Amino acid sequence: MDLNFHAQLLLNGIVIGVIYALIAMGLSLIFGVLEIVNFAHGEFYMLGAMFAYFLTANWGVGYWPTVLIVTGVAISLGYVLYEALLVSLRGENFERSILLTLGLSMVLQNGAVFLFTTTPKMTATGLSYSNIIVGELRLPLARLFALGLGLAAFAALYLVLYHTRVGKAMRGVAQNRDAALMVGIDPRAVSRLAVAIGIGLSGLAGAVLAPVYAVHPLMGFSFVFKAFAIIIIGGLGSISGAAIAALMLGVLESLVGGFLPLVMVDALAFISMIAVLLLRPQGLFGRGVRV
Amino acid sequence: MTTARPLLEVRGLTKRYLGLTAVDSLSYELGTGSMVGLIGPNGSGKSTSIDCISGFQPADGGRWFLDGREMTGLAPHRIARAGLTRTFQTVRAYDELTLLANLCVASQESDGVGWMQSLFRGQPLRSADAAAQTRGLELLATVGLADYADAPAAILSYGQRKLLAIAASMMARPRLVVLDEPVAGVNPTMVRHIEEVIQKLNAQGVALLIVEHNVDFIMSLCRRVIVLESGCKIADGPPGLIRSDPRVLAAYLGKARAAELDSRSG
Amino acid sequence: MNPPRTASGMNAVPLRALAVLAGLMALFAIPKLTGNDYLLALGVSFAALSVLSGGLNLVYGYTGLLSFAQVGFFGIGSYTAALLVTERDWSLWAGVAAGGGLATVVGLVIGYSSLRLSRHAFAIVSLSFALLCMIVARDWVSLTRGAMGIPGLPTPTLSLPGGIRWRIAQPADFYYLLLGFVVFAHAVIYLVVTSRLGRAMRAIKLNEPLAQSHGINPLAYKLLAIALSALLAGMVGGLFVFYLTIVDPSIFDFYYTETMLIMVIIGGPGSFWGVLLSSAVLTALPDLLRFTTDLRMVLYGAVLIAAMLLCPGGLGGWLHRRRVARWRQPRPAPRS
Repeated sequence: MDLNFHAQLLLNGIVIGVIYALIAMGLSLIFGVLEIVNFAHGEFYMLGAMFAYFLTANWGVGYWPTVLIVTGVAISLGYVLYEALLVSLRGENFERSILLTLGLSMVLQNGAVFLFTTTPKMTATGLSYSNIIVGELRLPLARLFALGLGLAAFAALYLVLYHTRVGKAMRGVAQNRDAALMVGIDPRAVSRLAVAIGIGLSGLAGAVLAPVYAVHPLMGFSFVFKAFAIIIIGGLGSISGAAIAALMLGVLESLVGGFLPLVMVDALAFISMIAVLLLRPQGLFGRGVRV
Repeated sequence: MTTARPLLEVRGLTKRYLGLTAVDSLSYELGTGSMVGLIGPNGSGKSTSIDCISGFQPADGGRWFLDGREMTGLAPHRIARAGLTRTFQTVRAYDELTLLANLCVASQESDGVGWMQSLFRGQPLRSADAAAQTRGLELLATVGLADYADAPAAILSYGQRKLLAIAASMMARPRLVVLDEPVAGVNPTMVRHIEEVIQKLNAQGVALLIVEHNVDFIMSLCRRVIVLESGCKIADGPPGLIRSDPRVLAAYLGKARAAELDSRSG
Repeated sequence: MNPPRTASGMNAVPLRALAVLAGLMALFAIPKLTGNDYLLALGVSFAALSVLSGGLNLVYGYTGLLSFAQVGFFGIGSYTAALLVTERDWSLWAGVAAGGGLATVVGLVIGYSSLRLSRHAFAIVSLSFALLCMIVARDWVSLTRGAMGIPGLPTPTLSLPGGIRWRIAQPADFYYLLLGFVVFAHAVIYLVVTSRLGRAMRAIKLNEPLAQSHGINPLAYKLLAIALSALLAGMVGGLFVFYLTIVDPSIFDFYYTETMLIMVIIGGPGSFWGVLLSSAVLTALPDLLRFTTDLRMVLYGAVLIAAMLLCPGGLGGWLHRRRVARWRQPRPAPRS
């Protein structure tokens, strides 16, 4: 029984970690390429989840089409967001970008509360109650799919970043903006794509998690601050660092929560972040002194 | 050559950037009230070396002393308070403050008025403020900006901003002012004006270390010129000597061209 | 510093002082003129929000440090005062002072540790700090009684000089008490921002390397701004929570942060009177317009976006641009 309990916790932790990673990597990509901290990032996760809920509950759309539609819409939203609001922001004015995206988050979050109320909604898909039984372990199908899709997204992101021209351009801008400009990379095109991908990842995370947890307008709020902590722990500017830190946090939260239910699980992210800032400011995997 | 302690002593200053040595064991001395130019081709380490001695960049090696007091590793504000002030290549000013306020800020940490005295507005503060205003107006007159004393600094032209920065660097009665490219990007009339201003200030007893690309400006203004190349000092002496030094010519014109000139004149 | 003048050239300072005095007298007279409890409640809200936004203005508007920590200091002051008064029988003065003191110490710690890195780190750490406070308040039940909070705070009694014991029971009593604190807090802020200290803070915000080259120590002034804003936020939190008669984790709600940010942005970061005015207007306005909280927040968000895109300086910034424009126009012989 004990081993199964561990394994169950581990699986839950990995699933949550993958979700954290999707959100944190998007945030890290946007920060790396545009030097903008996207306060509204969690809201796109929430919108993805809400949209997925409505597709499934109101229009009976199946799981896979829902995920595809939501991700596609999220990517488009990313383009719109960039062109409408972010294109005029420049990296030097850090405070302006935080406040602008904070304003956006206020509009989206409170708008959602106004339209949908704060009552959580459970998405009942065909998967909700299906489990795969492996020995003594119950592996909920919805979580397994979440894990699988998350890993697929990582693989896709890796391919884009390391094996396409535009992906390499993004990494170039993230590492050294001036040098990238000098070799002729178009910052606008690269930034636009970075935002589209970042928001797309958030939307995907929301769609994939909708069948697992309850959906409500405030769900993005708590995630986004943990995502900030994660990218600092992983090292600002390091996308893979964000992913690893996210996975570690997910597993840590799950294990700690399982064995020490009295401890403040939510605080772990922030306490770890403060510890990292004090002991190793460039983060676990950061290279530059970007902090 | 007097045996008095030099005002500024730099010993073995070294600064590296990711494997590139920007400043390589630079050593020199400046006397009180002297006017020294620091020139060299692009990438020679001039600006980096003064960023280090003014505390704005950490040095990787070496020590430097102002009037015998060690300045190595001190924060920039402490070096400024010790008597070494500077201007910046990218001209800096407090745009939202008036010109006079710009100047008064520059001396407020050096006139002995503490926080409590600042808050409770007694006589020490009032005298210090009055003295600062007087000095500020004098300096504005010296640089020719007295008419704009109550104007926000945002209205100044590029050249005027440079004058303001020079005036501000003088407010706290420094021993040494380091000017970082004071005439870069400025029209010839303004260049002459700035040259006059610098001479007036030097006449008041302040030592000046001037980093510049405009070699003619330095040669006509300074009694002594230090030349850097690739982080090393390659020449140090009066303008006449520097002008014909083969190493200097090689640094600026390239070895082939320098040899050509040398053979022509020789 | 140059004294402001009105358009006709008269010295504006006595005029402004007179206007402030008249305004204060009117405010203090309100409970006597009308028994409207609703107005008094509005006044108490104004008190808390104006002190919070005044402190934020000091840190962000004057010194240029974006900080989300204010609400954390507010809540720490509240919980500290509430706990000391209910569990240790401390007097209200002492509890409030202790609340402010603890908030100040915490502020110095987070400021010093993160400002050594950068102001970006400080912004993010301040945000996490505020969230951490909410989590601790909710989850560390043995200390804070958890999500239920500490209800039923007793009616405080203040011992005033002269042996008077003032029982703060009626809404009017809280109104006078908090309004008095608003005056005190803003007087302190005004004293600082119009002094050399405030000028140094502005210099740091306008051009930090330049300020360093003039001998100004940025870390010292940033810590001063943080400490003062934390002290005032903590103290007003201690007072406010006795008006509410309950302290619970909602005292750390992000709503306060969003509201005080809007007040500072609209009033103009760095504009003392602008922010004070906007905090008054924005406290009264929503209730006048009868928006629900959600819609109000949507509106604030939209205003924030618009401000950042079009007019980041707010009211104060617009006034400054007018001043610059006036200097650029051709005008008669300048002063010599």
